[in-house]
Amino acid sequence: MESPTELIAQPSAVLLDFSAASREAAIRTLHGSIQTAPGVRDAERFLFDLLERAMLSSVCIAPAIAMPHARTDSVDQVVFAAARLAEPGVAFDSEHPKVRLMFLIGTPRQHVDAYLQLVAALSRTLKADGVLAGLLSARNKEEFRGWLTRGVKA
Amino acid sequence: MSVMPQLPKPLTERLLRLLRWRVWVQEKLQPTEWQITLLWAALAGFLGAMVSLLFTALTEGIHELLTGYDSGVVETMRQLPWWARVLVPAGGGLLAGLTLLLGRRITRGRSSTDYMEAIVIGTGELPVRASLVKSAAALFSIGSGGSIGREGPLVQLAAVVASAIGRWRKFSPPQLRLLVACGAAAGIASAYNAPIAGSFFVAEIILGTIAMESLGPLAVSAVVAALTMRVLTDAQQLYRVPEFHLHSPWEMGPYVVLGLLVGTLAPWFLRSLRRAEQWFMTTKLPPIARLVLGGIIVGDLAIFVPEVCGNGYTVVVDILNGKIFWEALILIFLAKWVATASSVGSGAPGGVFTPALFMGASAGYLFGTAVHHVWPQGAVDPQAFALVGMGAFLSAASYAPIMAVIMLFEMTLSYDIILPLMLCSVIAYYTAKGLEGQSLYSEALRRKSAETPQPEMPTGRVRDLMKVAPPQVKNTAPFAELARMFLSVRVNNIYVVSAGERFLGAVSLHDIKPYLGDADLASLVIASDVLREDFPRIGPDETLADALNGFLNRPIERLPVVDPATGKLLGSLAKTDLLLALVETTKKKTA
Repeated sequence: MESPTELIAQPSAVLLDFSAASREAAIRTLHGSIQTAPGVRDAERFLFDLLERAMLSSVCIAPAIAMPHARTDSVDQVVFAAARLAEPGVAFDSEHPKVRLMFLIGTPRQHVDAYLQLVAALSRTLKADGVLAGLLSARNKEEFRGWLTRGVKA
Repeated sequence: MSVMPQLPKPLTERLLRLLRWRVWVQEKLQPTEWQITLLWAALAGFLGAMVSLLFTALTEGIHELLTGYDSGVVETMRQLPWWARVLVPAGGGLLAGLTLLLGRRITRGRSSTDYMEAIVIGTGELPVRASLVKSAAALFSIGSGGSIGREGPLVQLAAVVASAIGRWRKFSPPQLRLLVACGAAAGIASAYNAPIAGSFFVAEIILGTIAMESLGPLAVSAVVAALTMRVLTDAQQLYRVPEFHLHSPWEMGPYVVLGLLVGTLAPWFLRSLRRAEQWFMTTKLPPIARLVLGGIIVGDLAIFVPEVCGNGYTVVVDILNGKIFWEALILIFLAKWVATASSVGSGAPGGVFTPALFMGASAGYLFGTAVHHVWPQGAVDPQAFALVGMGAFLSAASYAPIMAVIMLFEMTLSYDIILPLMLCSVIAYYTAKGLEGQSLYSEALRRKSAETPQPEMPTGRVRDLMKVAPPQVKNTAPFAELARMFLSVRVNNIYVVSAGERFLGAVSLHDIKPYLGDADLASLVIASDVLREDFPRIGPDETLADALNGFLNRPIERLPVVDPATGKLLGSLAKTDLLLALVETTKKKTA
């Protein structure tokens, strides 16, 4: 299994500057980019679990950052995807009306540790100097991945 | 959209800091459930000693009030005129009877106050009012010179205090029974200044096991009680005796015979107490009149033999120190036997533990003296035979030879007699057991057990030991709520339920511990993100053996009890309760 930092540095998919009308649409779009990724056993179920979790409680960790996630039986290994939404972003809830960055996480149900490790590592990565700004201003996917790698190594 | 209220970030961070501290303290100084049990046992020990001091002071006060003397019971009786020797025990019986009669009005009809019953066949609950009434009556029986021990009521009171603490803390029945047992051990340790024997008395006689699950708390309670007594009083060994030596291996021969003799005598003694009880019942006298009659018999005997009054301690001290002639002792021995049977038979509240020690000491001394006359080398020191006789008689009467040996050693601190004491106690035990199927305590317990139609004890199902309302959160509970819960209750797993109260799993403190410093995580994670759905659970109607399987190979202290039909969380089962119940069950099967 890949380590959290390896997963963050090499997301299964990266989407840049797409538009979405709602939280659900944004999640569906990013999920669509990894539904055939290695480890995803039941894409539909995975989406359902992601949306269900987002309904339960906020998945945002900062005004502009959301981490839709699910511990689910529909994945065999940890899957991770990243995206940047086009300006002005999308409203995830009343406290997070302009989310620009999305990090989608799916972890096998029994891997509580893996889920927490990945979320904690991602949180640290985004706090690294310049990373957040770099991700928001990256001109292409390589640059975007580069900032993630830089954040992981920071 | 989330509907869960989110705490302000500074408050969340503060909570997490507190939780980190709690985890650190827990890891460094984590008291297990057993250690917490030991703390309660220590409290029971301390309070048991305080109760012991109070009861002793009250007994002496009542004695002085009734007689005008502040000396010991036997000394007082020697100074009283003949009519007063009759009047005081009879008056004591009257006052004890009146106390019991009037006490019925405030005891709400609850008469079963015996601590042994509460431990062995009950739930550990001892009615406070009824016990206080019985103890107050005992003050009059004992203070007036009844031939009965004060240690019984004293131990009873210590057990009542422990029971009250346990009920206040809402202990489960097995825990409550153990705490009451700790109280009893503290009472004995205080009364005899014998912490080891106090622990073993309860373990061997009442619990019937010396498993560490129960012996550990008993020992802690007894030690704290003895220590309290030593700090607050000048308590030393109960019987100060001269040094005894085994002069030659040939002396073991007479000791073997003493074991056989005392092993035969003890069942006779116990039988005589039962016969006396039956005789008093056949008189058809009301309880007060029976108590007065018992007091008159003791008083009549005291006219000629004042040594019959009290628990026999003074006479035992005189015997052990060679201050009594064997010719006089024969008379005292017989008179004391009758007096004890009268006091016990008339229903005077009190104990027979110390009177039993007197019987053993007298029998041992008389036998040793007889051997000494015939064969001086076979019993060089008859007083040593008295000492060994005490232990042997106790062993034969209580069916607890280990306790008897330890108690004698602790009460006298005389190690030299340990070899004959062990041999004699074991022989007396087997002899008594062969002659009589019941001991000083088993008879009362058997009778009470038979009188109890539906004893409240674990029936071997999880439901009986289950505690309701275990720590739990909803699956949508934010990380901060989990942190609060872990801070407020000392558990390692918090159960997670759905909005419909269905059990979903548990959040483990172990899982979230490494991430307590991450405030971002706290704002993102909810209980359902970190719960373990495969957490073991058990149904309320499963057996204790099934429950034990549930704990096997899992480092958990509690199992959630879940209704198999609805999936709802009903409560939790603590491993400590289960182990205590299993120890009790095993003991009952082997009894």
